[in-house]
Amino acid sequence: MQIIENDKIKEKLYIEKLSNGLTIMVLPKKTRKKYIVWSANFGSIDNKFYAPGEKILTVVPDGIAHYLEHKLFEQENGKNSLDVLCSLGVDANAYTTNDHTAYLYECTENFDEALEEFMNYVQNPYFTDENVEKERGIIEQEIMMYDDYPDWALYMNAMKSMYKDNEINIDVAGTKETIAKINKEKLYKIYNSFYTPENMLMVLSGDFVPEEIIEKLKTMITMKSNSDETKRVYNKEQEEIVQKYVEKEMNISIPTVLIAYKDNDLTSDKIKKDIAIDILGTIIFGKSSKLFEKLYEEGKIFSEPSVNYEFSKTFAHILIQLQTNYVEEVLEETKKYLDNLKRNGILEEDFERAKRRVYGDLVKDYNDVADIATGFVNDYFKGINSFDYFEEFNIINKEYVEKVLKELFVESKKVISVVKPIEK
Amino acid sequence: MNKVSLELKQGIKAHFINTDLYKTDLSCIIITTPLKRDTVTKNALIPFLLRRGTKKLPNLSEINKKMEDMYGASFNCGIDKMGDNVVLKFYIESINNDYALNNEDVLKMNLESLLDIVFDPVQNGNLLNEEFLSLEKENLKKVINRKIDDKDSYALEACISKMYGEEKFGLYKFGYIEDVDSITIEEISDYYNWLIQNSKIDIFISGNLKEDEVKELLNNNPNIKKLRPRTENYILNNEFTESKQIVENVTEISEKMDVTQGKLVMGLDIVSDMENLQVTSLVYNAILGDGANSMMFQNVREKAGLAYSARSTFVKQKLNIFIRCGIQIENYEKAVKIIKEQLENIKKGNFTEEDIQNSKTYLISSLKSVEEEQDTEIIYYIGQEISKMNMTIDEYIEKIEKVTKEQIVELANSVHLNTIYFLRS
Repeated sequence: MQIIENDKIKEKLYIEKLSNGLTIMVLPKKTRKKYIVWSANFGSIDNKFYAPGEKILTVVPDGIAHYLEHKLFEQENGKNSLDVLCSLGVDANAYTTNDHTAYLYECTENFDEALEEFMNYVQNPYFTDENVEKERGIIEQEIMMYDDYPDWALYMNAMKSMYKDNEINIDVAGTKETIAKINKEKLYKIYNSFYTPENMLMVLSGDFVPEEIIEKLKTMITMKSNSDETKRVYNKEQEEIVQKYVEKEMNISIPTVLIAYKDNDLTSDKIKKDIAIDILGTIIFGKSSKLFEKLYEEGKIFSEPSVNYEFSKTFAHILIQLQTNYVEEVLEETKKYLDNLKRNGILEEDFERAKRRVYGDLVKDYNDVADIATGFVNDYFKGINSFDYFEEFNIINKEYVEKVLKELFVESKKVISVVKPIEK
Repeated sequence: MNKVSLELKQGIKAHFINTDLYKTDLSCIIITTPLKRDTVTKNALIPFLLRRGTKKLPNLSEINKKMEDMYGASFNCGIDKMGDNVVLKFYIESINNDYALNNEDVLKMNLESLLDIVFDPVQNGNLLNEEFLSLEKENLKKVINRKIDDKDSYALEACISKMYGEEKFGLYKFGYIEDVDSITIEEISDYYNWLIQNSKIDIFISGNLKEDEVKELLNNNPNIKKLRPRTENYILNNEFTESKQIVENVTEISEKMDVTQGKLVMGLDIVSDMENLQVTSLVYNAILGDGANSMMFQNVREKAGLAYSARSTFVKQKLNIFIRCGIQIENYEKAVKIIKEQLENIKKGNFTEEDIQNSKTYLISSLKSVEEEQDTEIIYYIGQEISKMNMTIDEYIEKIEKVTKEQIVELANSVHLNTIYFLRS
């Protein structure tokens, strides 16, 4: 077992790789809560692959990873594991992202009883024509619910404008048309291709003795690795963006704007870049910045824009989201501010203050067992160990941040997505 | 229980929640005042003005530089209805001193800044800073207008306001557009001064605390010193302000908006004076629509496949239950019919001991996690404060365990549908 200690946040991470290839991580904490998440490196972007031993490319319908997430709870005895877990008083759930699918529960009691059910359902799919059919209406309603979320339209439009062929422009839940093509055979095929130990990660956080829980888990894992590997195929993406601007009208009160910058460099150090972008977020848009102050005083924005670096192994981009009635002016002011900052450089004191904020945010990530565990899952499938953020934080400097500003915040890679109120 | 409460002055309490579960300290000031049509908009405007600056840090940039220096402390305000009261919440969350890189006393800065923001704003004599007023009025209007942006909560608010009208609990917590323009600096300043000198004030500090030091810090704080003792002016949550009547005719309304999915809300009244009314209602609601084993989830979602989200919420201070689901517009009749069948089923006792046990287990486990979430714990305690209850979580759990099937059926027969609201295209 590997043990990594982080003296900044005073936590220890235990990592064990089982003989079948499954990685288990445990971050013990003296809480009453216990949290477990088991995740497969399979998400909405994984729509083309060579199944183990096959020479013909399999292409699956959009939304299938999410459909599988809904259906994995079905059991051969006719029960639904979500109901069983819920009746044990544990808070069970699952979610699908662009690069992984996660099954989890959180509890203050009955962890062991729930673990039996949990290990059983994740490892034993049971799909029938009937139970697959039954879910279609429910997922259609989930898709329709998202259709009414302005932020979701804003995001998907930005992806489609930024990427021509990259699979990030696929809606995680698919569409009514694509999910109509999903059947039990396809679900079994993706399960057998991707839900294999070497392609999964389990993370636990809470009141655990790492050695004990890992031994216990070993006796419950029946999953075997495939003799052959599943080979994923992704489209090749062009360097350029598709279009500079996209807008949609919805029934909302104020326009929401997403400024996105496409980052084609998927090789350089992601953590360092992520921290640099967080620092830049505070320096450019933070409430203490000159830009924020000006736009606020002029009544053009009233809350702090959010700044995020979203990335996986196949894409990377910066997302800046804000609300304003003055879309053009705000975009213009922002551009001017960025140009100035690129020309004149960042002030030392602004850099130091932003860095302190970023450090505080890193520490806060270790407050809650759920955030801790899902944080490790998120980072792992990007090839990152979350603790490494603290190492990179220590060595980041102003020059590097300025370099990121100049290289990434460029006009030719910028996309603007707007969702605005319906014009009467 | 790890909470210690202390009356600083009449009507002003400090509550210390000592815990080493978190990497953060959370301080929170809560001001409680009755919901009234003529003050609801002013209440909502006050946080907008206070967050603009204190005497020591007189503008946005200064205040936020201070927050960033405190390792990115986050300052937030919130406003919530709690029964017939409105609570104004001001929070600062900052990392615990143990994680500060240069041994700073972050908690002290946190608490002093929060007290300054709430009680020592930039002032001109007795008046708040007029320069901020017109801009913040515009910002408040934007927030009021944003009501329509989230269709799900919009539908719930619309149903509540249909049931209660524009009075007390029926009021929109952010107030009303038509009130905003006429608010003058004199009016809002007088109201602010009245509010901080006459309302119930609760100061919560949760984290890895040295209680004596924090106590001393509060006692010596000039802001606390200038607050006068007061007779708390709020509506006790246990005294229901209107005697509920059984509604003879159910109000059925639909509203048109450009939406893809219809949002159905059904408002129910609980008209009963049975013993343990709140706790029995909580269990009833869990059987009806809280959690994956509930009748709503099982029948509306799993069996009929009509909805992805299907649930019900119990508002204990008002003895209401709101059933909520997102459905295809043409399935309205079907969904209402299925939901009404569930209500009838509980009345007739068509549910098992297992259903009851599942619901209790579900409720008890959520109560047990209250002490593991810093902000949830504070909200739990403020709810107790406003009800003048002092029930520990264990006592609460004990009461839940004692609820019987007979009591649930008795309660079910005093649940009456009041309003069906449907948001559709």
